[in-house]
Amino acid sequence: MTNKLDMKKVKVALERKVAQTYEPAKPAMQFGFIHNNVDCIGCRACEIACKDKNGLPPGPRFRRVMYVEGGTYPDVFAYKVNMSCNHCAEPACLPTCPTGAIWKRSKDGIVDIDSSLCIGCRKCEAACPYGAPQWNPKEQIIQKCNLCVDEIDAGRNPYCVMACMMRVLDIGPIDKLWEGKFKTKAVGPHDETVRQVKNMANPELTKPSIAFVPHRKGKVKS
Amino acid sequence: MNKPDDTILNQARRSFLKTSAAGTVLASSSGLLEMALGQKDANAFPYEPYYRDDQLTTVVTSCDHNCGSRHMLVAHKKGNVIVRLSSDDGRYQAGGEFGKDTAAEPQLRACLRGRSYRLRLYSPERLLYPMMRVGERGEGKFKRVSWDEALDHIAKKMVELKTKYGPTAILDQAYAGSSYGVLHKSDQIEGLLARFLGMFGCRTNSWSVPSYQGTTFSSNMTFGTIQDGNEDDAFAHSKLIIMWGWNPAYTFHGGNTFYYMRMAKQNGCKFVVIDPQYTDSAAAYDAWWIPIKPNTDAAMLAGMAHYIFQNNLQDQAFIDKFVQGMDAGTMPEWAKDQESFKDYIMGVRDKIPKTPEWAEKICGVSAADIKKLADMYARTKPAALKASWGPGRNAYGEQYNRMAAAVQAMTGNIGILGGCAEGVGKGWHAESSAYPYDENANLWWASIKSDRWAHCVLNYPNVKREEVGCWPRDDELDGKIPNIKAIFWHGSDWFNQLTNINKEIEAIKKLELVVCSDSTITPSGLWADVLLPIATHFERHDVGLPWYKGHYYIHRPKVIEPMGESRTDFQVYTELAYRLEKLDPSLKDFGKRYNPRADRSYFQNPDATDEAYLVAWWKRVQHHQGVTMSWDEFKRRGVYKFTFDKPHVAFREQIENGVPFETASGRIEIFSTTLAQVTDWKKTQWGYPIPAIPKWIEPFEWMGHPMVKEYPFHMITPHPRHRTHSIFHNIPWLRETFEQEITINASDARRLKLVTGDMVEVWNARGKIVVPVYVTERCMPGVVVVYEGSWMDLDKQGIDRSGNPDFLTKDEPSPAGAFAYNTILVNLKKTTLAHRPGWDSQATSRSFVFRRDA
Repeated sequence: MTNKLDMKKVKVALERKVAQTYEPAKPAMQFGFIHNNVDCIGCRACEIACKDKNGLPPGPRFRRVMYVEGGTYPDVFAYKVNMSCNHCAEPACLPTCPTGAIWKRSKDGIVDIDSSLCIGCRKCEAACPYGAPQWNPKEQIIQKCNLCVDEIDAGRNPYCVMACMMRVLDIGPIDKLWEGKFKTKAVGPHDETVRQVKNMANPELTKPSIAFVPHRKGKVKS
Repeated sequence: MNKPDDTILNQARRSFLKTSAAGTVLASSSGLLEMALGQKDANAFPYEPYYRDDQLTTVVTSCDHNCGSRHMLVAHKKGNVIVRLSSDDGRYQAGGEFGKDTAAEPQLRACLRGRSYRLRLYSPERLLYPMMRVGERGEGKFKRVSWDEALDHIAKKMVELKTKYGPTAILDQAYAGSSYGVLHKSDQIEGLLARFLGMFGCRTNSWSVPSYQGTTFSSNMTFGTIQDGNEDDAFAHSKLIIMWGWNPAYTFHGGNTFYYMRMAKQNGCKFVVIDPQYTDSAAAYDAWWIPIKPNTDAAMLAGMAHYIFQNNLQDQAFIDKFVQGMDAGTMPEWAKDQESFKDYIMGVRDKIPKTPEWAEKICGVSAADIKKLADMYARTKPAALKASWGPGRNAYGEQYNRMAAAVQAMTGNIGILGGCAEGVGKGWHAESSAYPYDENANLWWASIKSDRWAHCVLNYPNVKREEVGCWPRDDELDGKIPNIKAIFWHGSDWFNQLTNINKEIEAIKKLELVVCSDSTITPSGLWADVLLPIATHFERHDVGLPWYKGHYYIHRPKVIEPMGESRTDFQVYTELAYRLEKLDPSLKDFGKRYNPRADRSYFQNPDATDEAYLVAWWKRVQHHQGVTMSWDEFKRRGVYKFTFDKPHVAFREQIENGVPFETASGRIEIFSTTLAQVTDWKKTQWGYPIPAIPKWIEPFEWMGHPMVKEYPFHMITPHPRHRTHSIFHNIPWLRETFEQEITINASDARRLKLVTGDMVEVWNARGKIVVPVYVTERCMPGVVVVYEGSWMDLDKQGIDRSGNPDFLTKDEPSPAGAFAYNTILVNLKKTTLAHRPGWDSQATSRSFVFRRDA
């Protein structure tokens, strides 16, 4: 149907749009997630904790543990990539919202949403390269992770992090997480942290606040 | 069934919306205001309004289903409704603070099943009122009745059956599904139902445990106890962990086992997984995966033993000091002429050395890999060979566990930190009974292998004692076949969970009374005559504890009032006892004797009595286990975590201080004194011969059997992650993370022209099921995997649409009682038959597995 898009042109267009329609908030500190792709057992306790806390029906999943596997029997591999909202430095969802229901918090960079303003146009869902905004078919609105702002404001951690049985999911100041300077159980003594893993959208699109400990098969060659 | 009602998912929101719509608008506009001014942080939330913690009451409790762990759940409630759940965050224990999570006292974080409890509590399948069957048995038609009507009916029937058919007429099929608490305890052997039926004087017991009977037998024969487990923190000290059929990413055995193993990995421990599947555990611990043909584990272990003996790598000093029957030198005097384990392995008598090459032909693992693993295991100290339960759920599964114990012993990895003697693996021993526990706890007049009940009912009285595994007695009832006319289920979905369901369906039609006590309308419940609604652990006072590993107690207050007309199991059996003593004069004071701290008003209000039982229990804890925390403080905190000076290691005392093992010889019995001295196998509970030393014995069905011409796939039925057996099958949140499916190797799928999502029918002579296919390289060719526990759902032809593998399993247990859950040959093909993932229309989808080429 459609011609194959010229990605260079798209990139230029995106850059222009970001520059023109939105001047990103510059938070004092940016929270971000870190996930260890290897040590994660893929139990999805984080997903269920999130659904319970946010009272979600079947369908929307704020947090998604993605199972990746490959190889040929018996030489196989498997790992997990765990993502919710990446609370991007330049969130793609934000400028698409006709009612201003999405905004970025100035103190910690959390991309928050007020779904009671949502008119269900689903533009943000289409805009996000990571699938963070989730359609609630019962309510006919979009909802998404807000990093449990209530817990953050009370000085605690989001429910998903506190649910992690393996302690491989955590939050922290994203700059420090990328530099490996933030003390967290998610990172083992010999682990490296990266900003991108295989088959993940280009971080330059929205500058997602997420760090990973990659699987050896999940590394992106730079 | 109904669609899930999202007011149940989010009750707080609905009720709040009605009363404070104005507040919603205010919160929203303040969000906009913040945008405009760029100052105050927003108060908004994915949905509004949202109760913050300070608006809710916080109550510490725990999960309660049948798995080896027990984790903390923290209920946040508004009035009588639980709004959300959280878990341990370090704040609740003595000396706790938010985020405290040390290796000595790690947080007890609940798993995905525990986190989904709210949906189970408020599920459409929740049983809220006593019900009685109105249609045919199994038709699923019930009417609501009063407690009086239900209990009087049961009491009358019980007396009638006992009078007419004798003391074996009622089969106890209680299991550990509805509770693992110290007071309200459903259990197979010594739960509340067992004591109730025993004191009533009519009970046939089911002795073999579905999950681990092969392992139990092995541990008892070898070590004289099933307490052969280290506490889970000991795993952090291993240098090599061999996970034999063990997938701790799915089955949580101990509060933090998987986490301590991650610590071991960070300390440089190497991992090996022996399993037909490349499991998530294999992936997370970056293990060397050795795929093996199902049911051939004993052969591979024998091959390893041969390599170790051949190269003289065994720990001979350990063997000489602690082991009986490992070799000719350690055979007991009275059995000097009998075959030792080394004789068998080296082929001294049968002239078949059990070489790695011999093993390769059976188990499909190359001799080179067998040698490499044996060498690694013999040379790495300390090394943990964890012989898990799954490979023991086979025909002759006990031989695998016995063989593993032999290999553990020959390398001297028993009783040392970082080693492993598991086995059953039960670790630290808790004070587990607050209910009246006395000489009446396990009375029975017949006791049979649990999966032989249908065979017994269908063939009575033409049944031989060995066919049903009658446990011996010292009186005239010895060997007498029970005349079963009734079944009681308590915390048990056994009709859905035992083997060969089609045979069970034939058998249940012959019964005169079937009673199901549960908090959920289970698939078994649909075959009952009376359904009794049992209050869940959120609705009764108790203390939770792990039964397998983990050293802690979690207080479980009555978080909310019981829903509907539900009562606790203890209330129900107490009230039934009072009714029975009126009908049967021989049962004088049955009610009082069954529940000594209560009077008849217990059925209306159990609170004071339950508290009294728990206070008395806590006194025992304080006295026996050196706990100084008061009961009131325990209640206030909600959790008590024990700390040890050094990790608990099974048999440390025996190895370090020479304390004898609990076997007849006081040694680790690779050559079993008990088994060697049996003269008439028919008069044992096992019924058929079992060798005194571990041996490879060909199973009834396996990939080396001629039957593979007709049924070319070996099916295994492991425990799933998204359910605990059949519990939680009806939970939408869990249903959307995994799907009931059949896992098949990619090359097999190509040959059959199958892709992921295709529907297949899977069958053998015993039944047929319909499930979608999951195609993967992570499964051994020729092996298919269907997770146990989906809720049976028969179509008009008697085909199971849910994909419950127990329509295909065989109801022939191993001699030692191991269920043959993983001994199944099947065939499969693409089908147009319908699959139904659940009884309802709720959403279900498989979360994608992203296939990426390397």
